[in-house]
This record gives sequence, structure tokens and C-alpha cells, in this order.
Amino acid sequence: MLVVDDESPIRMLCRVNLTAAGIEVLEADNGRDALELIRRELPDLVLLDVMMPDLDGWEVARRLAADPKTREIPIVFLTARAGEADRRLGEQLGGVGYVVKPFDPVRIGDLVEEVLTRIEQGEREALRRGILDDMLGSP
Amino acid sequence: MSRSSAETGLSLEALADAADRANRLQRVTDRLAEALTPQQVLDAILTEGLRAAEARAGAIGIVSEDGEWIELLAQRGYKRPILTEWGRFPVSAELPMSHVVRNGEPLFLESLKARNELFPNLEGRGRDGHALAVLPLALEGRILGVIGLSFGDDMVFSEERRKMKITLARQAALALERARLFEAEQAARQRLAFLAEASELLGSSLDYEQTLSRLAHLSVRRLADWCSIDMVAADGSIDRLAVAHEDPDKVKWALELQERYPPDPDAPHGVSLVIRTGKPEFLPELPEEMLEEAIGDDDVLREIVEQLGVRSSICVPLNARGRTLGALTLIAAESHPPYTSADLELAIELARRAGTAVDNSRLFQEAEKGANAARALAYVADGVVLIDGSGVVRHWNPAAATITGVPEEEALGRRVHSVLPAWESLVSHVPLVGPDEALARPVTVPIVLQGRELWVSASGVDFGEGTVYALRDVTDEHALEKTRSDFVATASHELRTPLAAVYGAVRTLRREDIELREEDRLAFLEIIEDESVRLTQLVDQILLAGQLDANAVQIDLEPCDPVQIASGVLESASLHLPDGISLRVESNGVGAILCDANKLRQVLVNLVDNAVKYSPKGGEVEIRVDSEDGECQIEVADQGLGIPSSERERIFDKFYRLDPQQSGGVGGSGLGLYICRELVERMNGHLDVDSEPGKGSRFTVALPASG
Repeated sequence: MLVVDDESPIRMLCRVNLTAAGIEVLEADNGRDALELIRRELPDLVLLDVMMPDLDGWEVARRLAADPKTREIPIVFLTARAGEADRRLGEQLGGVGYVVKPFDPVRIGDLVEEVLTRIEQGEREALRRGILDDMLGSP
Repeated sequence: MSRSSAETGLSLEALADAADRANRLQRVTDRLAEALTPQQVLDAILTEGLRAAEARAGAIGIVSEDGEWIELLAQRGYKRPILTEWGRFPVSAELPMSHVVRNGEPLFLESLKARNELFPNLEGRGRDGHALAVLPLALEGRILGVIGLSFGDDMVFSEERRKMKITLARQAALALERARLFEAEQAARQRLAFLAEASELLGSSLDYEQTLSRLAHLSVRRLADWCSIDMVAADGSIDRLAVAHEDPDKVKWALELQERYPPDPDAPHGVSLVIRTGKPEFLPELPEEMLEEAIGDDDVLREIVEQLGVRSSICVPLNARGRTLGALTLIAAESHPPYTSADLELAIELARRAGTAVDNSRLFQEAEKGANAARALAYVADGVVLIDGSGVVRHWNPAAATITGVPEEEALGRRVHSVLPAWESLVSHVPLVGPDEALARPVTVPIVLQGRELWVSASGVDFGEGTVYALRDVTDEHALEKTRSDFVATASHELRTPLAAVYGAVRTLRREDIELREEDRLAFLEIIEDESVRLTQLVDQILLAGQLDANAVQIDLEPCDPVQIASGVLESASLHLPDGISLRVESNGVGAILCDANKLRQVLVNLVDNAVKYSPKGGEVEIRVDSEDGECQIEVADQGLGIPSSERERIFDKFYRLDPQQSGGVGGSGLGLYICRELVERMNGHLDVDSEPGKGSRFTVALPASG
């Protein structure tokens, strides 16, 4: 899977904890690199930061949805934007999860596993409508 | 005075007598022609007439206006004071004069005996009298008065003598009528002059209380001994506006009286009656008996009546446009003769003019009040709009014109929906309250007016005949409020990222289910340290930016040495300098500048920090201090990444950060340069940037020199 965040500490947290869960992790520190990587590697899931300079997370999600090759790739937003409007936007853009920073990285592996399992079980729409969040509860 | 005891035949003597009488009559006619006033006429009749008629004494009585009385006004030749003895007596009385006035025929009584036969009631009176001739002063069937002539002896009134006396009476009547007409004309002239003067007075000022009070005083000199003016108050009570009399003590007494006996609006007479009915009350003469009856045993009332000395009174309403506004009272007392119908007419005319003046003055005051309100509204910053019941604009003040962009003249008198199509969408959100209810909180509504998006705060009051709206353009406030809430939202986002790093690092470090590599463990510890520092700076900067926004940062300007400050900043920066970066200060001997040393230090620390951060490949960071034209320039130049020209102004915006592609991944709060520029500007300087991408940036702080 791919972790996209312009903050290297956040990427590192995700990488270490996801790797510990046996998940192979790719990283991108900006939107353009992320798009390129996704199109090339077609990861199983993208953990996507929203606020990034130039190409932000929303735009990345839009472009992924517009491309038939990438539109099926599940997106979990990982963001500091905690507002209700942002959450709804994430849902509209096809996100299946919405994680608000700060989050507990220890459980991020479980989250990814759960999302992937449920999608496999055909619950993608249910996930999207009830956009998965708060399972990584803030401190 | 010659006397003749026999008038027989046409003897020479008789002819001479006749010529003599004709001469006398001619003299009377001449004198009467000269007499102007009625009194002069009466005097002329008696002085010359008695002689012409060979009478010993004579008296003249005048019939009163109502035809009921005869008043003795002149006498000559009587030993007794008959004017006071007889004074006035009824036309109906059994007296020779009354008899003549009643019948209109002369009465010739040749002796006292003849008189007593006709008027037995006079038996024993006027014992020394002899013959008596009583003649009507008649003109065209009207009896003006009566003249009585008394002779020294009994007398036979020959046809000749009778004719002569009738001619005398006729001459006298003519002269009396002429004099009366003259007097009436004089009086009319005076009335007209008075009315003109009163009208001028009434028109002189719009302060009707003052003009009415002056009118009362004017009337006292010409029309009355007492004059008072009463007005109907708003609550229906009667207020005495003015009392006038020539004697100020009497005025004082009358005012005290008013205090003690306030008028009863339901009283069956006087001012109360006139105000209630709107009709004049005219008491031409108050007979003694009538007063006595009215007073009865009321001693207080007796005192009042005696003090007033009322003889006759007129009370007329001040009417205008079908309403009675008050009443004017004229009283004839000690000096003014009793009122006649001519006086009543004058009083009615005077009151009519006064009523109109009061009405005009009140209308003007109403209009003035309206004009004042409009004038006040012209200066109110809030837009005030009055819409009548049918949706037509009745008031549109200048602020409303400014807010809506529709000038007053285009709005007034037109339907508000055609004046402003957006009106409905604006006021549909505004809750209306009644005039006595507490004002609802204004509602802030966005509307598009002539292509501009405005935020308008509006409130409204429905007063039945229409609705008044208060509008305020809060577009700027709304933008400011949005900036403020955006700032809070952005600041909270900015805090979440380092918090996420710290919290995540700690959570990961504490994992017991996995074995962390040593280098990762150290990296997490470093993250915790770095992000904590970043959080602290962020919190400080957010606080400072907030204070700058609220204008709550205190700046203490004093002379400082810029070179010393710059050197100090470089010195501390050099303590933790990355490899490949060198620092230096250049200066060409600059004098003191006026600034807040701590704030300048803060600015330079930030600029040097940025210069180092954005020089990932190393290079020289130089601070150059120069002075030029009373201004000191402190440049912080690096040889780093530089800034694209499109970004050069935006880097000073709050929370704006360069794309990591352009900034080489260097992070920050996004507040540093914003704070730097704000601080420099508050020290009366300016902060600018010049840059060439790939070659470096040059930030210039310019500050005024000291003194």
C-alpha cells in the first residue's frame, strides 16, 4: 500500500507500524509523486493526507476516481481537517475511511486489514456511506 | 332769551318773530353741521336748540341698541342733576319720553296740569315745571332718541311753534345719525386697524404660545379690560395660556384664582361651554340683579366679581379645520364700555385668525418634527428604509442609498420590489416585531446587489401602517470574521500535525509486541523532540499572530544600534549551524535607528533561520546593514533555493507555505514571514523580498533612522 504525506514523521510512523503488521509500504511526500506511483504500482490501498502544497489530497482522490485504472483503489484519508464538511467531502470523493490527526498509529495496521477484508466481502458501499473513522481514536 | 306770550295773526311783530326763529334755527343747523361726535351733536342741540325753541331747559335721551331702554345722555338748564337721578329707564315706563319713543309722535304739554293728567304717576314731581315739549329724534321711522324741552311758563304751542320744534328735532336726529355713522365708521376703521395689527402679530412668529400671549396684551389696550386665552390640552383639559390686564397685580390675582379654581370642562357657561360647543358666548351687559342672583351667598365669588368688575363679556372659540383649539375671552370692566354686536363680530374674526395661526403653527411644528427626524436619519450610519402598507418606499436615507447603490430619488414613491429586486430575498429572513416589542436580533443575510456580494445585517419593526427596516453593510465585518474563524481552523489544523507526530511516536515507542530497530527508536525520539519544539514555536507564533491581528502587541520604539543587533543574531545562529553554511555581517558604519530592539531581533532571527533552512546545499548567509536617505536597510541574503516571482507576495500571507518541491521539503508554521512583516510595519518600516530561483533570496528590512 501507499502512504502519502508531506510530513516525514507521519510517513515514518505509518511505515514502521504498517511494516510491523506485515504490510508492504510505499511512500510519497506530495500529490504528483503519489499519482505517478499509484498508476505504476496500483497499490491495494492509499493512506492519503489532505493538506499538501500544490496538489492536495482531494485533488489526488478526484484524479484517481477519474481514471478507470485507479478508481477501484480504496482511499483512507489521513488528515488534520476535523470539520464535518471535510468529512462529507471525503465521503463524496469515494473515501472508505477518514482518520483525523492525531491518531494511534499502533492500530493502523488493523484498520487497513479491516478495510481490505470488508471490501473483499462486498461492503465497499457500506464502508463509504458510513465512512470508517474514529477507530484510531485521538488521545 | 326772548319770550313771546302771544302769537296771533300775521302782524309785523309776528313776521319779525318768525324771521327771528328762522335765524335761530339756522344757527342750530350751523352748529349741528359742525358737530362730529354724537356727544358734540347733543351739546349743540341743547345749547343752540334751547335758545331757538325759547326753552328754559332740555334733556336728550338715547334709545338703547335693543330698543328697551332710554338713557339720558345730555341736559342743560336743569337745577337738579337729572342725568344721575334718571340715568336710564325703560321704554315701557309711563313717562313722557318713553311715551314719545313708543308712539313716535311729539308730545306738547302746555302746563304741569296737562302733564299730570296724562301721567298721573308723575303727580308731585317736577313741581316747578311748566310747559313741556317732548319730541322724537326720528329718522326714516327709526326712533334714535328723544328730546325733552322744559319751559319757564305754561305755554300755548301754536302750529308755528310746533313746526319749528319738530324741525329742530328732525335736524337733531339727522345730525345725530350722521355723527353716529361717523363714529361707527371710525370704530370700524379702528377695528380694521386692530385686526391688521393682530394679524401681523399672529404671523410674526410660529411660537403660537408667545404670539397668543402678546395678542392678549394687545387686546387689553384696545378691546377689553381683561383678556384671557385658554387652550385645549392633548388630554382634553383646559390650560390658561394667557391672562392680560393693565395692572400686573390683577393679573397675578387672576392667575392665583385660576390655580385655586381650575376650570371645569363640563361647566355650563364660559370658556368650558365655548370650547365644548365651538360657539361664541356673548353677554352684552350683565345687569346687577343677574350678578347678584348668580353670586348668592358665595362671598368668595362676590370678591371675584367685584375684583373683576365685569360689565360685559365675549368668549369666542379658536376654531380651525372643524376643531376647537381654545377660546379667547374679552371682558369689559372698569374702563371699557359694554360690548356691542360689532365687538362680537370683531372678536369672532380675531379668534378665527388666531385659530388659523395656532393651527398653522402646529402643522409647521409637526412638519418640522418630521424634517428633524429625516435630518437625523440622514446622518445615521445604518440604512433606514420605510415601506408603507402597499409596499411603496416612503423613506430611504443616504446610508440606505450607499448600501444598496440606489439613490434616494430613484427609490422614493416606488414599489420596493421594482427599486431593488433583491429586496424580497433580503427581508424574507428578517423577523418583524411590533412597535412595542423588544427588537429582534438583526439577521445577517448575503445578497447580490448590482453584481456585488454584500452581507447585510437587517432588523425590522412593523408599526401597522408600514414597516421600517434598519440595514447595515457588514461585508467588511463578515470578511474579518471569516478571516478570524479561518485562522482558528487553520491554526488547529497546524497544531494537529506535530501533535500527531509526537503522539504517534510515543505510541509506537511503547509497543511491546514488536521489536523496533535502534535507528528507528532514535528517529522517533528525535521526532518527539523536534515536533515538540515546532509545537512550542507554533503556539508562540499563533499567539503573536493573534495579538497582531487584535492590535495588542506593544512596540517600544527607542534608538538602537542595528549593527549590534544583527551581530548578536548571527552569533547565536552560528551556534547550531548546519554544515556548508557560513554567516557574516557587513556594515558601512550606520547610525542609530528607531525601533523595538527585541522585535527587530525576533524578525532577524526568523529571516536568518529561513535563509539557513532554504539553503539545503549550503552557501553564505549575509546580513548587510546600510543607510540611505534617513533610512536604515538590513538585508538578509542567502544563496539558497530562491522564491518563484509568483509566490513573492504570498509568502507574507498567514499560513502560506511554499510547495515542498520548491522549498526542498522545508516545513514551518507558515506564520513566520507574516509576523516579520507585521512587526516591521509596526516599527514604521517595511519588509520586502527579492529573489532569483536557484540563486537565492534577499529580504530587506527598512527602518527609519533615529532623530
